[in-house]
Parts: sequence; C-alpha cells; structure tokens
Amino acid sequence: MSVRYSLLGLLAQQPRYGYELRAAFLALAGGEETWEVKPAQIYTTLNRMVESGLIEKNSVEEEGADDKVIYTLTQSGRDELQNWLSQGTLDDPQQDAFFLKLMLSLELPEINPTRLIQTQRSTLYQELHRITTLRDRLHPQTELARILLMDKAIMHLEADLRWLDMLESRLEEVQNQPHPRPELRPRGRPAKTS
Amino acid sequence: MSIIEVKDLTKVYGEKSATVTALKSVNLSVEKGQFVAVMGPSGCGKSTLLHLIGGLDRPTSGSVFIDGKDISTLKDDDLTELRRRKMGFVFQFFNLLPVLSAVENAALPMILDGVKPEAARAQAAKWLELNQMGDRLTHRPDQLSGGEQQRVAIARALVSEPIMLLADEPTGNLDSRSSDEIASILRRVVTKWGRTVLMVTHDPRIAAYADRIVFLKDGQVVDDTLLEGGNSDNSRMVKEKVEQL
Repeated sequence: MSVRYSLLGLLAQQPRYGYELRAAFLALAGGEETWEVKPAQIYTTLNRMVESGLIEKNSVEEEGADDKVIYTLTQSGRDELQNWLSQGTLDDPQQDAFFLKLMLSLELPEINPTRLIQTQRSTLYQELHRITTLRDRLHPQTELARILLMDKAIMHLEADLRWLDMLESRLEEVQNQPHPRPELRPRGRPAKTS
Repeated sequence: MSIIEVKDLTKVYGEKSATVTALKSVNLSVEKGQFVAVMGPSGCGKSTLLHLIGGLDRPTSGSVFIDGKDISTLKDDDLTELRRRKMGFVFQFFNLLPVLSAVENAALPMILDGVKPEAARAQAAKWLELNQMGDRLTHRPDQLSGGEQQRVAIARALVSEPIMLLADEPTGNLDSRSSDEIASILRRVVTKWGRTVLMVTHDPRIAAYADRIVFLKDGQVVDDTLLEGGNSDNSRMVKEKVEQL
C-alpha cells in the first residue's frame, strides 16, 4: 500500500514517465536493499490508479521515437495522498516465526528451548553487526536520512535482544504453565432427544 | 596461532561455606587480530575472565597462555612486566590521573618502564593524534569530556605497542554517540593497527562492532558466535563443542 501512496507523492512533485517512477521510488525509500519492488508491480499499481481516477495517463509524442507514457496526478489523487499523509502509521504486525518455534519447542522434547533462544540471539547479533557495518559506511553529511533508517533497524534489534533476555529469565515459568490447546468442537449431528 | 589461550580456567572466591564459583572450567581461544566481545548477564564471570587473562588476578585452577607463555608460571615482577609490554587496558571509568595532562597520562606506562620522558611523550602524542586528540595534549581530565578521556585511555593503552587490548565495559560510562565513536576506535585498533582486542560489554550495539561474541552464563561459556561469515568451519566446530557441554 505504501508503494501506491508514494507514487502519488512522487507525482505530486511533478508529472513523470512510467520508467522514471521505479527509480524515483527506490531513491526515496533508501535503495534496493531496503525495499524490493519489481517493475511489474509499479505498472500494475499505476494502471489500477488510472482506473480509480487517481492519476491520468497521457501519451507524449517524441520525434523519431516511440510515444512515451506520462502520468499526472488528478485532484482525486491529490486528496487521497493528503488523507494518507494526515494519518498516523502502524507497521503491519509481523507474524513472529520465532514465537512459533519457541511454543513448539515446549511441546517437542528433542528441541531445547534454551538452545533455541541462544541460536536466535546469535542470529540477531549477526544481523546487528551487518547493519552496524552498513551504517558505518554512510556519510553523515550526505546520507543522514539513510543513517537514521539504519538506526531504527538497530533499535528494533536491541529491543528484540532485550525481549530474549526477558524470555530466558522467565522460561521455566512458561514451561510450567498449561500449554495452549485448541478448542475441540463435537462433530456430527447432535443426538436425538425424544 | 592463538594469542590468548585459556584452559580449564576456574576461579572460586571465598572460603568454606561461603564460596562463589565465578568461573567453571572455561576454555577459550583467541586468534591474533580478532576483536572478541564477551557478554553475559550480571555475575556471569565476564569481568573475572578478563582479569585472569590480564594477569590482574590468579586463577583457582587452570591456565592462561599469552602469546604461548603460561602466565601462571611467572613471578609477580615478570607478570607485571608482561602486562606492561604486551597488554593495554581500558576501563569503564577511564582511570586517568587527574593531575596529569592528556599526553602525560598517555606517556605514563612508558615512563614507568624506564623510557626517557621526551621519547615517551613523543610516542604518546603520536597515539593521541591517531585518536583525534592532537589538539588537546595539554588538557587535564577535568577539561575533557567522557569520550575524550576514554580516547586518552586508549592512547595510553597503545603507547607501549602492546599485542592486545583488554577492555572492561569501555563504553559503560559514555552516552550513545561517544560509545559508538569509542567502539569504532577499538575496531580500528584491530583492522588498521593490527592488534587483538578482548572486550567485556553488556551493550549489544557495542558488541556488534566485534568479529566474534563469546557468551557466558553462570561462569561457563554457553555460546560462541562469529558475526561475519557465520557458517564458517570454525563457527560450526565451536558450535559442536558447545553442544557437547
């Protein structure tokens, strides 16, 4: 969804050619490593927005070359963009794969939950190292926005590590509590009562 | 070749009924040119391990080899000399002498070793300059910020051209910006100036500057992770060893 609104934002700056928009989006988002988006996705999104009347599509004649398609923002698109910008944003809640692993480890004797937590901790530290290294290479005078984005990733990892410490210290309590069991509903037709 | 080799190291404090086992048969190997962070919850033995490796304390049993030499066989004087020549120490609270200037503080280990003051000060100035403290040589600690004091401490630790630096919570007393700068310097000590660094820290952000993290818990090593190229043979071998524990 953010891609869609970002395209509206980029068109609010100026009308643009289709092929420019992907590059402009990636520059805005902080590069391909930060946000993967295929050209097909951009064009599909653009076409949907044309259908919804948020943007307009026009052909521009060029001498000796194929007509290029240029996109412009409509008033409707402008309103939609304003609406998005004026609201707060919550990140999509991620389905926590590690949490599932942990719950499974409580049920399966062959998996040691403490080992699981330590493996996760090591993985988080490797990722923290990778991002810290990337951050170190950026120039504070010209790439501050990207540095701040890296700082956000670093803070999230620090929080995840703190959570693991907390989890580890209370693991025994969790193990001793009743494990989640699905509610089983009776199947088949209810017995006749006559 | 391992520059630090720890074999079956045990340290027990106290006597009779009131003993605390700070370290329990710890084995550790650090290669030349590695930047190793040691982490773990409060009381896990990480500072004890650092002190034993630095010869600042003697183990209850087990041995510490520095550059191939068993330091438990050394007499106090020889141990002190080894420490002064081969090791540099960086502490949480900087431990600078308040009456001395930056260059005098940094030159102190060499002066204590019998080097002429002018030569020692020149060497100290060189290391201070490398740590971006060249314009503060005559400042005293009370005229320096926390980060600057720690830079002086690092210069002091490097002045005798040691083979290794031992750091105990080097950023524990610094704000996050200074912490990042000091961690960057410690990384440079390894990548640019070719030393080995062993650092105890509880700060994940700072530990991430290292190449490798050793995790301690209740006096024992519970994991050992390479931060780069995590699937190398060395890391797998270490993992297998740890699983056997």
